[in-house]
Amino acid sequence: MTASDSGGVVPESSKQLRHELRTPINHIVGYAEMLLEDATDDGATDRRGRIEQIIAAAGDILAAINAALPPSLSEPTDAGVRELYESFVEPRGRITAALDALRGMPGVVDDPEMAGDLARIGEAAAKLAPPGETMSEARAASTPAATDDAAEDRARILIVDDDENNREVLRRRLEREGHATACASNGLEALEMVGAEAFDLVLLDVMMPELDGYETLKRLKGDASTRDLPVIMISALDDLRSIVRCIENGAEDYLPKPFDPVLLRARIDSSLEKKRFRDQELDYLRQVDRVIEAAASVEAGAYDRSSLSEIAQRADALGRLARVFDSMAGEVRSRETRLRARVRELRQEIDAARGVGTETASFEGGQIEPGTRFADRYEIVGLIGYGGMGAVYRARDLELREDLAIKMLRPEFVSDPESLERFKTEIRLARRISHPNVVRTHDFGETDGVRFLTMELVEGLTLRDLIDSRGRLGVSAVLAIAAQLADSLAIAHAQGVVHRDIKPQNLLLDQAGVLKVMDFGVACLAQRSSKLTQAGAIVGTPAYMSPEQLIGEHVDERSDLYSVGVVLYECLSGRPPLEGDSAITLIARVLREQPRPLGELAEGVPDAVCALVHRLLAKNPSDRVASAAALGGELTRMS
Amino acid sequence: MAKILLVEDNEMNRDMLSRRLERRGYDVGIAVDGKEGLEQASSGEYDLVLMDMSLPEIDGWEATRRLRANPATEGLPIIALTAHAMAGDREKALEAGCDDYDTKPIELTRLLSKIEALLPGTP
Repeated sequence: MTASDSGGVVPESSKQLRHELRTPINHIVGYAEMLLEDATDDGATDRRGRIEQIIAAAGDILAAINAALPPSLSEPTDAGVRELYESFVEPRGRITAALDALRGMPGVVDDPEMAGDLARIGEAAAKLAPPGETMSEARAASTPAATDDAAEDRARILIVDDDENNREVLRRRLEREGHATACASNGLEALEMVGAEAFDLVLLDVMMPELDGYETLKRLKGDASTRDLPVIMISALDDLRSIVRCIENGAEDYLPKPFDPVLLRARIDSSLEKKRFRDQELDYLRQVDRVIEAAASVEAGAYDRSSLSEIAQRADALGRLARVFDSMAGEVRSRETRLRARVRELRQEIDAARGVGTETASFEGGQIEPGTRFADRYEIVGLIGYGGMGAVYRARDLELREDLAIKMLRPEFVSDPESLERFKTEIRLARRISHPNVVRTHDFGETDGVRFLTMELVEGLTLRDLIDSRGRLGVSAVLAIAAQLADSLAIAHAQGVVHRDIKPQNLLLDQAGVLKVMDFGVACLAQRSSKLTQAGAIVGTPAYMSPEQLIGEHVDERSDLYSVGVVLYECLSGRPPLEGDSAITLIARVLREQPRPLGELAEGVPDAVCALVHRLLAKNPSDRVASAAALGGELTRMS
Repeated sequence: MAKILLVEDNEMNRDMLSRRLERRGYDVGIAVDGKEGLEQASSGEYDLVLMDMSLPEIDGWEATRRLRANPATEGLPIIALTAHAMAGDREKALEAGCDDYDTKPIELTRLLSKIEALLPGTP
């Protein structure tokens, strides 16, 4: 239904209209019946008669409403509604006449309660006028309409005035406007109430005993919890100085007494509207804060999905952000959970292999005895092991008072000046890599003709030890190794460092399951040196080298990925993908033969994992996974 | 003295009905919306609730459902009041958990008999 002829908006449905029309009838009948109950004295016969006329007229209007708007009718027509309002004219006339007669009766006007109830009946009757007329009638009765529409504008207003009559006048007026009110008779009481419950607005008298309006205002505005509560000052002091003083102290507005009701209403509405916007803004900022808190809680590993559920309901950009964030956080969490489970399994493998030490080796040139002072700075604690490049010792740094590892480099690797320069360059690059999965290289030094590297000491065992002890490893444990290996290589490759010698002997695992890659930059030495030695005297085993590396072609980071493939294949199946009795046989196979499908050797390994490993083992670098970072991404997505 | 909680957003309805009930000897407490109604009803000091159904924010249907879901108020008698008086409203009110239903304009004697039926021996 659209606007009626009289200019007002007719409610959309019969239900609303019934509600709107029956409500004033309820008021008329209710107040009239109360008046009737009071009209018990003998001389009140005339009064009772008039009141009964009102009740009868209201009954007639109700009958008309029920007939025109039966409970089952959903959409009344414009014409029907107009007719209905027209049918009210006659009974409304009877009500008005009865009210006028009652007001003229002795004793009625003097009785404030009775006068008030008659005014309310008049106000209710005015609501039965056609929509266009309602306002003018209501205004004539100086009782602005308190319709149900006001519900959404209802505010909780605190009236602070030491004069009881002033409070009462304001209270009644505001409640008629549909607001909820509370009253305080002085500033201290007002501050107490504001501290205890939420208000939307304060109407504050200036001249009050004890704590006056100025001081009350100052305290309200000085307290962070009440600073944003709008205050309208109401005072008989209307000089410019008083007004300025109030505004300067933070009052929203100022209204001189006696106040004009229309002005009061306009200023209250305006203050409430501003507060509503401010509240919305503050609410928005609070919700933004909650999203930021949620982001921090993801970092701290304490993200609670329900913390954003309310914001995620919003239809605006913030709601969208919360939804996207929640989904991302959920993904991160499930990845973390998966990774934790994988590392747990890896730790179990490590625990089961505990007691397996790295091989204690002796090598030509003999061991350095524990307790020996080395390079004026270190004290040898003991031999950790022996690698392709030389012996590794645990030593105490006497300057820094901490233990580290010292790798002695066999003279033949560093005798050639060109190799040495290249090696130094590689070490300089490698030293820049700082990552939890990379063994830190500290220094390169020389003492008494012995060249050495100092490195972070890792307490644990090598992946070689673990595979030798366990035969083959569980899929989750292998994925935990693979993810950490991919992470460390991604960082190194981003810095331009290719490892060139990824193999189980170079992968250390501590007790917590953290993998650390060692010897970044060192392998170049072996590569260079290998060319200097006789054919077949390749340092270490070619089993982990990529085809391009074996034939001396240029290698890039994809060569490391091939080695990762070999390591993973061996972890899962317990043996390298290709083997040979001699280095030559092995090299020939690596160049020509495809390894046996991993799935045939390792039962229970998901197809996706097998396929990924075989992709890493592709002969052609461009057929492999594109980068270590891409490998990391594929591994985290793998469930 | 029986204490009745009147949950009603219309000021004139509140004023009129509370006064009429007080005249009949009931102690009447007021709540101006559903939220306040829920808070007051949960205080345990009321014997019966007169619940207007058209309330802002939390309407009477929802407020009734919540009172029924709360162990502290699940047995509190509730009479629904509505000016809509549409077909099916009564069933809807009873379904929401109201004990009885009455329409506005209020017929006081009819409402009182419903209150007395739920609070025998009062006011």
